[in-house]
Amino acid sequence: MQIYNDYKDHADFLTVYVREAHPTDEWQMKSNVKDDVCYAQPKTLEQRVVIANDFIKRFKFPLPFGIDDMSNGADNAYSAWPERIYIVDEGGRIAYRGGMGPFNYKPGEAREWLAARYGAVKHEAPTAPASGAPSAEAVPASSPAPSPATAAK
Amino acid sequence: MRRFWKWFAGVLGVLLLAAFAVLSYMAGSPKDAYGMVRYALPHMHRGTLKVGSDAPDARLVALDGNSRFHIRERTGSRPLVLVFGSFT
Repeated sequence: MQIYNDYKDHADFLTVYVREAHPTDEWQMKSNVKDDVCYAQPKTLEQRVVIANDFIKRFKFPLPFGIDDMSNGADNAYSAWPERIYIVDEGGRIAYRGGMGPFNYKPGEAREWLAARYGAVKHEAPTAPASGAPSAEAVPASSPAPSPATAAK
Repeated sequence: MRRFWKWFAGVLGVLLLAAFAVLSYMAGSPKDAYGMVRYALPHMHRGTLKVGSDAPDARLVALDGNSRFHIRERTGSRPLVLVFGSFT
């Protein structure tokens, strides 16, 4: 979410919600159970919409949001599953093509692209929070496939 | 010579088994290790889009479950950062 906060005055952001990476009826990770992110692969658009809304509520996710319909058109067009970042320039062309997650999913590269165009945004190292106070940037991740929330770091 | 290849195959098999055991320990379970190896297979690194390609359009659904819009409607005036993912 930090990259969104840093560059939302310069670029538009859109989260595209695609089919689940680790549903309960396919390859569910232990971390999903630990983080209480347990959903079967949606079979209908309504189910996918419900899960997407659960995600938004849980993380108070601020980025603009769109959901891929059950034809998975956006996923197929962008070869996006399980997670990926692209930047489209003003001419409608791919300006940055991120690697496929989880191992090649690198939000820092998208930040570098934005920094090269609009300048780097530096942040001071956070001071230790008061005991019991969660960090505002802390987002539980269902590794190895981080949620879209961890994408916009 | 034949004995050498048998020996070689045996050692390779043991090494692969050991590597998978280590990966299973790191990943949490053999099932998770298998899943991670699948991620790494060449066919998983798919995609024909390149920098400079026209960005494909696609129709998306809004969070209300009813409204529709196109990715292309969000492009034009500023760069558009597309973040694909899911909750799980």
